[in-house]
Amino acid sequence: MGKPSAQRREIAFVVNGEPTTVTAFPMERLLDVLRRDLGLTGAKEGCGEGECGSCSVLMDGALVNSCLVPVAQAAGVNIVTIEGLAANSSLHVLQETFLAYGAAQCGICTPGMILAASHLLDKTPSPTLANIREALAGNLCRCTGYMQIFRAVAEAARRRAAP
Amino acid sequence: MRSDPADYELVVPGSLHAVLALLAGEPDWQPIAGGTDIMVSYAAGKLSTPRLVSIWNLPELRRIEIFPNEIRIGAACTYTDLRESSVVANEFPLLARAASWTGGIANQNRGTLGGNIVNASPAADSLPALLAYDADLILISARGERRVAHRDFHLGYKTMLLAPGELIRSVCLPRVYAGYRYYARKVGSRNAQAIAKVCFAGLGLASHRVIEDVRIAIGAVAPVPFRLAETERILRGKTIDPPLLDLARKTAGAEVRPIDDIRSTARYRARVAANLVAEFLDTLRVEADRRHGELPIPDPMPDRLARWNSLPPDGAAQEILPCCGSRAWAFGVAARRPLLDEASLLAASDQVWNSLDEPDWLEAFASHPRLGESRAVPNAPAQSAAWSAQEQKNVAASSKAALAELAAANREYERRFGRIFIVSATGKSPAEILEILRTRLQNDAAAELREAAEQQRRIARIRLTKWLQA
Amino acid sequence: MPVKGVQGDDILDQKHIVGTSVPRKEGRDKVTGRARYVDDMVLPGMIYGATVRSTISRGRIKAIRFDPGIEWSEFVVVTAKDIPGKNRVALILDDQPCLAEDTVNHPEEPILLLAHSNPHLLPKAVQGVSIEYEELPAVYTIEESERQAEIIWGTDNTFKTYLVEKGDVDAVWDKADYIVEGEYTTGAQEQLYIENNGVIAKFDPADGVTIWGSLQCPYYVHKALLSLFNLPEEKVRVVQTETGGAFGGKEEYPSMIAGHAALLAMKSGRPVKIVYDRAEDMVATTKRHPSRTRHRTAVSKDGRILGGEIDFTIDGGAYATLSSVVLSRGTIHAGGPYNWPTVRIRAKAVATNAPPQGAFRGFGAPQSLFAMERHIEKIAKVVGLSSIEIRRRNFLETGSSTTTEQTLRDPMNLGQLLDAALESAGYREKKIRFAAENKLGKRKRGMGIAAFLHGAGFTGSGERYLNSLVGVEGRADGSVCILVSSTEFGQGTNTVLCQIVAETLGLPYEHIAIAQPDTTVVPNSGPTVASRTVMIVGKLVQSAAVGLRQTLMDGGLSPEHTPEQFQAACREYVESHGPLRCYARYQEPPGVHWDDQKYRGEAYAAFAWAVYVAEVSVDLTTYQVSVKDFVALQEVGKVLHPVLAEGQITGGVAQGIGFALYEKVVWRNGRMLNGQMTNYIMPTSADLPPIRVFFQEMGNVHGAFGAKGIGELPMDGPAPAIANAIEEALGVPIDSIPVLPEDIFEALAHDEPLAAPISAPRTAL
Repeated sequence: MGKPSAQRREIAFVVNGEPTTVTAFPMERLLDVLRRDLGLTGAKEGCGEGECGSCSVLMDGALVNSCLVPVAQAAGVNIVTIEGLAANSSLHVLQETFLAYGAAQCGICTPGMILAASHLLDKTPSPTLANIREALAGNLCRCTGYMQIFRAVAEAARRRAAP
Repeated sequence: MRSDPADYELVVPGSLHAVLALLAGEPDWQPIAGGTDIMVSYAAGKLSTPRLVSIWNLPELRRIEIFPNEIRIGAACTYTDLRESSVVANEFPLLARAASWTGGIANQNRGTLGGNIVNASPAADSLPALLAYDADLILISARGERRVAHRDFHLGYKTMLLAPGELIRSVCLPRVYAGYRYYARKVGSRNAQAIAKVCFAGLGLASHRVIEDVRIAIGAVAPVPFRLAETERILRGKTIDPPLLDLARKTAGAEVRPIDDIRSTARYRARVAANLVAEFLDTLRVEADRRHGELPIPDPMPDRLARWNSLPPDGAAQEILPCCGSRAWAFGVAARRPLLDEASLLAASDQVWNSLDEPDWLEAFASHPRLGESRAVPNAPAQSAAWSAQEQKNVAASSKAALAELAAANREYERRFGRIFIVSATGKSPAEILEILRTRLQNDAAAELREAAEQQRRIARIRLTKWLQA
Repeated sequence: MPVKGVQGDDILDQKHIVGTSVPRKEGRDKVTGRARYVDDMVLPGMIYGATVRSTISRGRIKAIRFDPGIEWSEFVVVTAKDIPGKNRVALILDDQPCLAEDTVNHPEEPILLLAHSNPHLLPKAVQGVSIEYEELPAVYTIEESERQAEIIWGTDNTFKTYLVEKGDVDAVWDKADYIVEGEYTTGAQEQLYIENNGVIAKFDPADGVTIWGSLQCPYYVHKALLSLFNLPEEKVRVVQTETGGAFGGKEEYPSMIAGHAALLAMKSGRPVKIVYDRAEDMVATTKRHPSRTRHRTAVSKDGRILGGEIDFTIDGGAYATLSSVVLSRGTIHAGGPYNWPTVRIRAKAVATNAPPQGAFRGFGAPQSLFAMERHIEKIAKVVGLSSIEIRRRNFLETGSSTTTEQTLRDPMNLGQLLDAALESAGYREKKIRFAAENKLGKRKRGMGIAAFLHGAGFTGSGERYLNSLVGVEGRADGSVCILVSSTEFGQGTNTVLCQIVAETLGLPYEHIAIAQPDTTVVPNSGPTVASRTVMIVGKLVQSAAVGLRQTLMDGGLSPEHTPEQFQAACREYVESHGPLRCYARYQEPPGVHWDDQKYRGEAYAAFAWAVYVAEVSVDLTTYQVSVKDFVALQEVGKVLHPVLAEGQITGGVAQGIGFALYEKVVWRNGRMLNGQMTNYIMPTSADLPPIRVFFQEMGNVHGAFGAKGIGELPMDGPAPAIANAIEEALGVPIDSIPVLPEDIFEALAHDEPLAAPISAPRTAL
């Protein structure tokens, strides 16, 4: 396997509401394309094997680990990264509650964690603690022990229901 | 990331027909669906197939077809698709369970049933379910379709009956399991995101403890998941009793062929496999409804609490007011939301109660009826009155003489302290209560106020627990 | 600017900012994805580096061959010969090469460095370097190392020893009613910060070396590069980037990776980024020292410890790194929160042919405290009293003398802490209930307790040696900027130091900034380790702030100034005099005596005290242990930021639960086999119990606003509390951690205590 067998090609998708085209090898990881080609460094590489969730993004509304998505499979999709979560300069309710409840310490898991929580609240507006635990089980946090993250998510749900 | 993307080609033909045509011409193209296995190998520098063809999200492969006698699940259905399908949830719960414990949500959104089958890990999460249900596979290539029994599909470790240029098109599950009880359990190194050490799927049909049919499939204890045919044989037609459980344990323990590896030991796997068989048989014995799966773990945040967390402050305070009678307490606890479980709720109740002042305590005390009297306190909520009645039921059942003694002691207390006697009456006999009252009559006013407050704190806890369980 | 020393107790009465949960200083960037970690940075012309590492445990390098199929002219290649200065990672003993020359002493030892502009070509290039070795016999366990059949380090495989002797131990045995012995072992643990180690290096012949990196101690890296490159101080610049978790794993290791990147930058003339992937980070970098502790204790029939011997040994891997300091802390904490009238503690750190172990939160104390809290349970069983009562009868109190003969002067009440913890945990009711319920059913439940302490700051004369210096600057716009080398990596350094200054100066929290740690900008306030930042650096920062205000007051600012007046005064000063900075240097509090030879005296300026209670449930179908409830109660001086403080405890408890039940390093011939997140198991959100945190506050004179350190404390308690709870549930002692379901199964099958040698492989392959 010495000689390159692929050509870079143009791949078009929508990122955070903006139509975007990249020129990339089809097996570039979506994570690398977002970070390197588009400067969207919010998604992080923590493990490269879909275990830690720090690379999580939303793809057509579904939470996925971008380190496991070949960019060619992202053609035509709608991607939302942490950079696209807030509208303009105000924060998304989850970003507010993460700040208020200490749910972000070192911050490296935070973008993926917030997106996973956002995905949960879209599907389950009034989650129980068991729902929250399950929804976040694919996002590893080494700093918090998760307690304050649970509170932040539950409070975000409460604020959305009764603003 | 240990591979060079320049070394890999990935094409996205976009239709099943085009994919099959490509595979017919050059069978070395590796199909890739959600990538949750292939991309891991790729990132580790271990993907030996440089040409890949995407079958992700092909409509022909990502639907669930429902026929009268079977369902056909498209091979590119994701675990999330399986979880969201009501026919799978209702009729094939072993598979719904397996889908829920594969990876985390992100991997469930991309991992596919077909991928799980052809990746053929000995610990594959969905394969025991497919074995228990006697699934068939429809394989497809440019040459046409053929149907094989899933149990014949895996020939050995990572070898299977897939011809060059062939894909799995659908997984067929016969709709014949009405009335069967199911038991599914995955034993991993942690509760989520774990590779199975033992993976168990069981179906059983029993009446009056006699086993009419039983199907036990198990993974991660052999090179491929398999049915415990010998164990099933010694179980069919038998009555479930302790000797049968022992025999089943022994037979299963001998039937599995686990190894030591980086995750676990052969001895552990064999023992746990045997234990799971016994646990499965135990559930068959129980005259429960068919939804009795693995031992339920009560959700520490019941629905009631979740809904209460979302109420506006007034509504939340009103809802819990009958538990204590103090408005300051009710608003104080409501202000501590979100409260995620019973323990946090009770802790919040204690903290708020201990921070209040005498007027708030007195308000709470006043919401109780006098011990031993059935006359309701004016303006007390109906729920509060109902709980009081429950807490005082021992007292209410006493003899007339005992009630008269209690009434006299109550009046003495009221003369001395200017309010009714408060005690957490749950579980206490009238004699005990009388003794407590008489002892407390000796207290000075300050000490007695503190003691009454302490009792009220306990009452609030008891009532909050009841409120959660209602 | 005048340099101020620490003077007595400056604890202010009002607490508007300190004591409240102000927003995390850098929090907004973190929740919006704008925070810049080192891998998010790109420099013009930057290329990428990779490391060629040893595949054997010990031996001589005979030949290095380069695969002819690779275009090596495109690569930068660095070997030890390229090192301008000393080929050593300067730390304490300076025994660790930056790049191996003739010999290797552990698997994954770095030998060669490569760089290329296309990072995707590096993995194949690394594979393309083949190294021929002459293998030598290697040593893998504490026992093998002690035997000294093979000498792999120094003259006796021993990095360091300590001997603590208090009183006359030898005389105590005859007086004992009971002599209780036990052996307790703990395994290696990986820090598993979610951001892997990474740096970017630049080299310029005129300016020298610049490093941006994920690190805890910019001045450690600075010192290491000075000797590696033989450069003067002003030619090395180290900048800390936003750091995604550290826990000690980025205390000393960054000096190695920074040296590597800098060498490649020097050779290539280009900026070089090295960021490890998870597999490399796990197998090649430091972990918690495995340990073995042996206790032999003389006990009276009323359960009092009369005295004893403690033998504490840790496995340091192939080079010394920080082993002597880990050993020190483990030694001093080995007696736990108990009164030892007489004791002999023999401690040693030994070498094995594994990658060097290093700092990890707790730093020796979790190891020796695990042993102590298991041993106290054993004592209780022998004496026939409850372990609660045994603890009570032996607790240290105000006026007690510790194992190092430090007299405890601060107010403290461990008995009351114990009572409060048991009450919060519902201990008594649950114990009764479980005793009944455990008779039926396939789940056995139990409660376990751990009582412990953690000293804050560097041991003994360590803080004097560090000689920390901090600065505070009043800027032209009236804001105040803190200048410290103390780093933020999630624990709240930025936030708390800004709170302290805001409170001290009566300014809004928003007006206080903290400079990015850059060795050309900030003084050396010491490493961000040892739970010292709030207590020691915070106190200095407070002092410097007071000095700053004094300067302005000397210039006419009123003592009752408003924020606006302060702003105006700053502006005026800067316009007329130039930069306005005030520095403060550490001064040892009077009355602190420490004898480094006898290892005796005031070991720490302050101790935090804690009692933790764990409730576990063991499923006898699968032998899995699940923690159902956890109470963490500690006395910490003052809580300066409630949310941050709680977060430190819950995070530390989670790591402690991992240490006990999940995080096993599988070794084969000195190499970690399970170097992936799939196979090295840390708890997910689905695995942890509610962790209920309670603080008590008895203000301490030494720390800023009375605070004591808390960062490492929560690491000490969970593992013994859980082991004790499992023993309560099953009646089987758990004397070795991590304890996995497979171990529980074997213990129940054989009904023998689990005390296998920690370095012996548990799973055959």
